[in-house]
Amino acid sequence: MLNTTKRILITLPTLLFPCLALADDKIEFNRHVLPILSNHCYVCHGPDAATREAGLRLDQRDSATGKADSGKSAITPGDVQASELIRRITTNDPDERMPPAEGHKPLNASQIAILKAWIKQGAGFQQHWAFVAPKQPKIPQPKNRRWPKNNIDHFVLERLERDGKKPAREATRETLIRRVAFDLTGLPPTLEEIFEFVVDQNPKAYEEMVNHYLASPAYGEHMARHWLDLARYADTNGYQYDTEREQWIWRDWVINAYNKNKPFNEFTIEQLAGDLLPKATDQQKLATGFNRNHGITIEGGIIDEEYRTEYVMDRLVTTGEVWLALTIGCARCHEHKFDPISQKEFYQLYAFFNQVPEKGMRGFTPSARIPSPLASISVQKNKSELARLKLELKKSVDVDPFLNQWAKRITAQPESGWLVVEPTTMKSSGGTTLKKLPDHSVLANGANPRHDVYDITAQSDVKKITAVRLEALTHKSLPGGGPGRHSNSNFVLSEFELTAVSLADPSQKKTVKFKKAIADYSQKGYEVDKAIDGNATGNNGWAVDGPTRKLPATAVFIAESPFGFEQGTELQFRLRHEAGFATHGVGRPRLSITRDAPSTIKLQGIPSNIRQIAGKIQNQRTKGEQKQLRDYFLAHHNPQQALKQRIAAIEKQIQAAVPATMIMQDLAKPRATFLLERGQYNEPRDQVSADVPSIFPAMAKTVPKNRLGFANWLVDPRHPLTARVAVNRYWQRIFGLGLVKTSEDFGIQGELPSHPELLDWLALEFIRSGWDVKQMQRLILTSATYRQTSHVGANAYQDDPENRLLARGPRMRLDAEEIRDAILATSGLLVQQLGGKSVYPYQPKGLWLELNNRPSYSKEYARGKGDDLYRRSMYTFWKRTVPSPMLKTLDAPEREFCTIRRSRTNTPLQALLLLNGPQFVEAARKLAERMLIVGGDTTDDKITYGFRLVTARMPSDEELAVFRQAYQSELNYFNSDKSAALKLLQVGDSPLNPKLNHAQWAAFTSLTRLFLNLDEAITKG
Amino acid sequence: MPHPLSDLQMLENRRQFFGRSTTGIGTIALASLLNGNLFAKEKSGATPRVGGLADIPHFAPKAKRVIYLLQSGAPSQVDLLDHKPSLEKLHMTELPDSIRNGQRLTGMTAGQKKFPIVKSPWKFRQCGKSGTWLSDLLPHMQTVADDICVINSVHTEAINHDPAITFFQSGHQQPGRPSIGAWLSYGLGSETENLPSFVVLLSKNSFNQAQPLYDRLWGSGFLSSKYQGVKFRSQGDPVLYLSDPAGGSDANRRVMLDRLAKLNQIREQEIGDPEITARIAQYEMAYRMQTSVPELADISTESESTLKMYGDDVKEPGSHAANCLLARRLAERGVRFIQVFHRGWDHHSNVQKNLPTLAKQTDQGSAALIADLKQRGMLDETLVIWGGEFGRTVYSQGNPQAFGRDHHPRCFSIWMAGGGIKPGMTYGKTDDYCYNVVENPMHVHDFHATILQCLGINHERLTYRFQGRDYRLTDVHGNVAKDILT
Repeated sequence: MLNTTKRILITLPTLLFPCLALADDKIEFNRHVLPILSNHCYVCHGPDAATREAGLRLDQRDSATGKADSGKSAITPGDVQASELIRRITTNDPDERMPPAEGHKPLNASQIAILKAWIKQGAGFQQHWAFVAPKQPKIPQPKNRRWPKNNIDHFVLERLERDGKKPAREATRETLIRRVAFDLTGLPPTLEEIFEFVVDQNPKAYEEMVNHYLASPAYGEHMARHWLDLARYADTNGYQYDTEREQWIWRDWVINAYNKNKPFNEFTIEQLAGDLLPKATDQQKLATGFNRNHGITIEGGIIDEEYRTEYVMDRLVTTGEVWLALTIGCARCHEHKFDPISQKEFYQLYAFFNQVPEKGMRGFTPSARIPSPLASISVQKNKSELARLKLELKKSVDVDPFLNQWAKRITAQPESGWLVVEPTTMKSSGGTTLKKLPDHSVLANGANPRHDVYDITAQSDVKKITAVRLEALTHKSLPGGGPGRHSNSNFVLSEFELTAVSLADPSQKKTVKFKKAIADYSQKGYEVDKAIDGNATGNNGWAVDGPTRKLPATAVFIAESPFGFEQGTELQFRLRHEAGFATHGVGRPRLSITRDAPSTIKLQGIPSNIRQIAGKIQNQRTKGEQKQLRDYFLAHHNPQQALKQRIAAIEKQIQAAVPATMIMQDLAKPRATFLLERGQYNEPRDQVSADVPSIFPAMAKTVPKNRLGFANWLVDPRHPLTARVAVNRYWQRIFGLGLVKTSEDFGIQGELPSHPELLDWLALEFIRSGWDVKQMQRLILTSATYRQTSHVGANAYQDDPENRLLARGPRMRLDAEEIRDAILATSGLLVQQLGGKSVYPYQPKGLWLELNNRPSYSKEYARGKGDDLYRRSMYTFWKRTVPSPMLKTLDAPEREFCTIRRSRTNTPLQALLLLNGPQFVEAARKLAERMLIVGGDTTDDKITYGFRLVTARMPSDEELAVFRQAYQSELNYFNSDKSAALKLLQVGDSPLNPKLNHAQWAAFTSLTRLFLNLDEAITKG
Repeated sequence: MPHPLSDLQMLENRRQFFGRSTTGIGTIALASLLNGNLFAKEKSGATPRVGGLADIPHFAPKAKRVIYLLQSGAPSQVDLLDHKPSLEKLHMTELPDSIRNGQRLTGMTAGQKKFPIVKSPWKFRQCGKSGTWLSDLLPHMQTVADDICVINSVHTEAINHDPAITFFQSGHQQPGRPSIGAWLSYGLGSETENLPSFVVLLSKNSFNQAQPLYDRLWGSGFLSSKYQGVKFRSQGDPVLYLSDPAGGSDANRRVMLDRLAKLNQIREQEIGDPEITARIAQYEMAYRMQTSVPELADISTESESTLKMYGDDVKEPGSHAANCLLARRLAERGVRFIQVFHRGWDHHSNVQKNLPTLAKQTDQGSAALIADLKQRGMLDETLVIWGGEFGRTVYSQGNPQAFGRDHHPRCFSIWMAGGGIKPGMTYGKTDDYCYNVVENPMHVHDFHATILQCLGINHERLTYRFQGRDYRLTDVHGNVAKDILT
């Protein structure tokens, strides 16, 4: 026990950890010594052998008290004089002085005094607290028996009493309901909820109010929103092109899991390894989207393995921060400098996450179309309709009458159409393997040279050929399943050429000149006529937006004059790929010819052979011909076409409603994992096998050494970190700071818990409750600690600016999403639709294109309409490289990586946003409209109504006087300038209410803008 | 009983708190809590400032501010700044393996079979008294050659745009670290109460293969988000949401803020939370910005002769020239770090057509900025930097007739001028192939260390504790290029 006369309380961060200055104070290793050693010594005398100096490590007692390379002992317990460490940190010889000056981390006199006292007292070491499993602490019994409402308060009050401090009084009911509503739903309470709670005489009124919000669907949204920061969730792929992805169904899963109160251990297992569970359900697989939320690059020129490595790193680092609150990433390049995690152990953990069958470039698979657990009724309806139509389709139809009629009709028409030619030889100048497929198309694979020229020949006895057709077909073996050979699925055909050679007399040759080219699709700037303009250099050629489109494309080249020799022709096609874009070959060309008159040529058409068969009488057709004809007819003119079209339309709707979500999956044959020298993808060293660091309890022998085993290990009740880290984050969410302030780092360099025993008790309580997340929120929110007022005066704030001692209730600015949602809610604009695709609310023009205007890789922000403008902020489309300015200005992160703690700043840009942002001005005028219509009879009534919606409380007389006066002067202003009133009332898409007096409405809008900009409006008090 | 050791520790903790506190208290309120400019008082002779770390500057700074003209996409050093007569002989010969020496290539030329060297088609000439070699693509820069220091020995590890530009901006190839400007705002605080201390200007882009930019390039990483760069835009409001909503007026804006302040004060007295006072101060700064920003963007007060220096483009909002002029105006108003991003240098093909276009877009404005700062006596306290994220290959990408140049990390050129930098100097040398550095290499970390040095910061001592580690802009590397400092 410290001698209180000697103990000097420092305000500010050391408040909790009073400084020790005198040798007879009892020194505690973890609290007093470890921070000094870790900060000032461990880089050279810590766990990392590679940078260890003098054979001395100070993180282990044996080494610290044993002999170093010099033969001397750094520490001789009990003997300050004999301890080399003390000599070296106090010597005046700059060559000997520790820590070395170039490290810029000198020890101060007080730190030296602590080290001396510690050695004098026997130099006891302790294991770092966070690596020892929590033990059930004794519940303290503070003097004040009446104040505590649950065990939390015993710990908090005991700590306060130790300092001779008292807790603050309970906050008002208005404050409490507003605080609870925000903490559980991220939304303000409604007026009805406020009225009901304020007058509720039931002794359990508070608990019932808490339960009411826990049961709200908005609870799941709010909790999920916090999880999205950890999960680095976004709607785009990050890195430089930052193209879109659809991962929102995974987000729906998280919302649903919180609303269903999925226990945190199950939640953990499913997020990390749901796919590996025995008989994993689709929903369990969907959950694993967590570790596919990292950025994915599509930058041309990147090295695949370099980025695949980064994705695995991101997964491991994120998982480590979220579940272990450890800076595992520090051991990527070398042994961890502070925590006992070796580089080898890092790669053993890495092995768990290194098994995904994925790529670095466009690594968007594996993925699966799994419906959202919140799927709307319309999706269900569509599904049953689909089943019905499919059943109908199965009913047999007699096709023959239809077929015969059709055959007759086309025979009567003049002959036209395309004849696919069969390639006889195929050659690539760059070594590409060209292979003929049964449909006479030519598939390119194998080597992918920078430039390539395909020479394809075919023979034909057709004369008077008027045009040739090139179909650039897609194939599953081509990149992205598209039409081109480049990794982005595109091709650039610089030039298309044809020579006709007489079969009878090869000396007769004709270079076919094309007068015109048409295509069903051309990329802007890469029109098809560039393939016949005689220019094969530069970037001049035909391309088809492969990166975004990935569809086949067809081009027709019309000859200046018909060609074809009497006794047959060899057609020598040449496809030249010589543009500035490397490896941009056509992936699967197919060539056809026609005799149609140039004016009637269509891109598609009935193939000549089909036409020929149709011309025969039915019994003259061979069996094969009959089948060919029938197949063609069914494919193109099926009498059940209408039915099929409806099925396709519904399937498309369902597909749009259920985009593929990226999920985790393990390779059937595990990928070998190696320690990577300096963390570099291209410097593998020893092979390692998956395992957990030895500082922790070992994985159970019964579980497999894969992600599932790892996830099970995390939620083993004996694990020292998982439960502590989770409850600490809940605490942080509610009180602004965790009991461990560095909620992202429970390691040796992290801060010690302010209330270590409370943290342990909460962690064990969490496990005991079956990892019941709602119960944990309930427990914290029903404590007396939470219910304290934050109105405690300037001195209290100065004494303990961060409220580490918890002598008052939490008070902090709301998060970005909460601020916007609150304003939408109070104005009545909020559209509360649970889950679904992301939406595009107001945003200043040009923000996307000013950073990226590259054709095919960029687009303008497509601002939404109607309901989409007023959804909760967690549904706002999250573009990593340009996050929503509304959210970003209010400290939302980019989500390029996992964020455990957001900044909470106070800036002029925030003031501008809240004063002038159209979303906020529109909300202000809608709130004013509400006040005018339902706010009561008198001006005071209306003011009070609106103010209460925003703050939950009644305005004081002093405030009311300001508002009255403000209203009057604004009314005068708008009466004198009606057009100004009209302009203000037209901000935003909401319609102008013609029934209201505009000057009055505008004056109230000025007032509501005032309300919404009050510190109180954006603060949880 | 008071004890000297405890006093010492108390001071230590005060410093730590005020220097490091990232949550809760805004800069302005902090300064007011501390009786005005406490930090400034600690350092004699320093300009009054708000925020920043107490021990910074570590020594007398040469530069007060930085204007960094970042040329995104990577300009070709061999055609602009690194004069290589040796290439005359090597033209159209194959790059020897001994020179390439295992350098990894991007996916764009990794499959190329030949690597024919292509000399620069443009003439270089020696300029000014210093005789600095500059390409004829930079006629205006040739007139200020005696004011700049050309560095031909910059190198990096990154070979693709995203990691390379992220490296230049934050000292790390993967996202997550603070940008240079954010580090400076954190370390040096602000010298203006009317404008942000870190401002970003984007040039309008006309090259359809240009690389995109991303918010993270001026982001604050793990530092408080208040340190991130603020974009001044050339379309719409220069600063987002700067304009009053339609129907508002200057008069009632002021009245409204006064009412707001009064109402917030009432609550502050009751609650005691200093955050409320800080909020009032932020609304006041917002109010000042509503005047100072439009004033700043309005170049009609500039003399004809000044406008002429910057060229015709200067009247085109969002041009490089216009942004150079705005940068000077921001510098005059106490903005610490001004970064202009110009895109479009990524010439994988047809260098001969594309490079002159880009050079023309940037040459005159950059040269005018130097001359303009100089004539106002500001050049010696303003560090001006021009450069991209890597260089370009001396060998041809694709057909040598319409040659392109691929990404090249082993050597490239930038120039620096003004505050703290020796003028009229050329630093660093590359080999005959313009492929490797042979003298005075300057790595990205060295570049950062040198910038900080000019600003009075020891790069090893500007640190921020995050996740248990004391992070630096220069990570665990960085050597100051002392030879180029005054």
